[in-house]
Amino acid sequence: MPASLPGFEHIRKSWNATYSAYAARILPGEYYVTRSDEGIYTTLGSCISACVRDKACRVGGMNHFMLPATADTDKLGGLSAATRYGNFAMEHLINDILKNGGKRENLEVKLFGGGRILQNMTDVGMRNISFAREYLETEGIEVAAEDVGDVFPRMVVYFPATGRVRVKRLRSLHNNTIADEEIRYLRNVEGKPVGGEVELF
Amino acid sequence: MTIFREREIVHGMNAEISRLLEDVGGLVTLPQVFLRISQLVDDPQSSLSDIAKAASHDPAFTLRMLRVANSAFYGFPSAIDTVDRAVSVIGTTQMRNLALSMSVASSFAGLPNDLVTMDNFWRHSLYCALIARALAREVRGCDPSAVFTAGLLHDIGELVLFNRLPEKARASLLLVLDEADDLPVYRAEQRIIGFDHAEVGGELAKRWGLPELLVECIACHHDIGRADRHPRETALVHLANILAQMAELDLHAMDDVPPVDPAAWVLTGLDESIVEQVVYEARREIAETHELFFGS
Repeated sequence: MPASLPGFEHIRKSWNATYSAYAARILPGEYYVTRSDEGIYTTLGSCISACVRDKACRVGGMNHFMLPATADTDKLGGLSAATRYGNFAMEHLINDILKNGGKRENLEVKLFGGGRILQNMTDVGMRNISFAREYLETEGIEVAAEDVGDVFPRMVVYFPATGRVRVKRLRSLHNNTIADEEIRYLRNVEGKPVGGEVELF
Repeated sequence: MTIFREREIVHGMNAEISRLLEDVGGLVTLPQVFLRISQLVDDPQSSLSDIAKAASHDPAFTLRMLRVANSAFYGFPSAIDTVDRAVSVIGTTQMRNLALSMSVASSFAGLPNDLVTMDNFWRHSLYCALIARALAREVRGCDPSAVFTAGLLHDIGELVLFNRLPEKARASLLLVLDEADDLPVYRAEQRIIGFDHAEVGGELAKRWGLPELLVECIACHHDIGRADRHPRETALVHLANILAQMAELDLHAMDDVPPVDPAAWVLTGLDESIVEQVVYEARREIAETHELFFGS
């Protein structure tokens, strides 16, 4: 099994027969960066995942997050708590890739998730998609590929070394189980204040 | 010794399925109108007008049934304004299937669960039913109306598991999501619960005294090799269950859905060239059919 980079030892990995490779599984709120030839996978309802890698030096990773539904009045330095949280999720991933040898100009990004899996809810998936797109536009990073929105959950398997992604759309039988997991994660996030300090490279 | 032990295990599981179904016995019941029609269909002495009389006994059913008979679902060329006429053009055994199909939503309303919304559950079932019916039209000797009903009922065991064993059922679904390898839900159920929704559904259908074709299609849709009386109909439901996922998820390649048992193509004499058309048609028909069978 490939060794995990420092800080990612807690992410569970298992052998995957379909891809003949090890794969790390990330949960809502987690991210994972690797320099090895291994996969990263996650299951997304209305959450979003950015798959980011340096095309030249084969370091990359994936995050999995959702903007908390906090009121926009909670501002800090002109940014709402939701935006600060989203920025956090994106910057942690990108900074760790840069820390491990990636270069900003070589970054390739793919976006997945943001499905509207619960009919009676406001479209939180779309809010997450819009945030991710705007964030990347501001950072000047182009989105190379995406499968976002619509009404189904997705399982995403990503190989940062090659950039290969497999997105499997999941049947509605899984909607509630995935939504429950995301709601639990959201409550956890909303219970914690988000500061403004992120180390920028 | 080994054989004896295996039998013991199978017997133990059957006992557990029986226990589950005893618990749901009072919660899911078939309506009188279906039971009465069913009895008459099986009775060689009964006439077409006996069946029409039984159907007319339930005015709400009559109204809905005539709506279905006059809809694009059948596409009959002229208006059907009496129950007698409906029974004669639809057919008697087909009327039994229709009565069953039209009552599934209310029959299972007493079995709620937190894992899937009824709307999502029945949408998948209805896609399966529509596609199974479309496929059956291309297979000589298969009754499209019977296969439609089989498709609509194929996952009823899931509703039993979700209601009676919610924690284990949730664990099965989580296991599927936890594995990047394509683990089908029924295999996860076998691993965690010891049996799967197809077995439970088949057993429920058997207890209800449903026609053997339905029992076999429900029980064997994930394991068509076990169907010995109605292998072609079972193969159609197996295929339709997978193609239904293409329709639901707007997918166009068979690589994106669980693999089909190649025996299903052989048994039905169909091949992949039919897929695009039946999936497209099902997507076109779903809204209207949903309104007919599940609307108020």
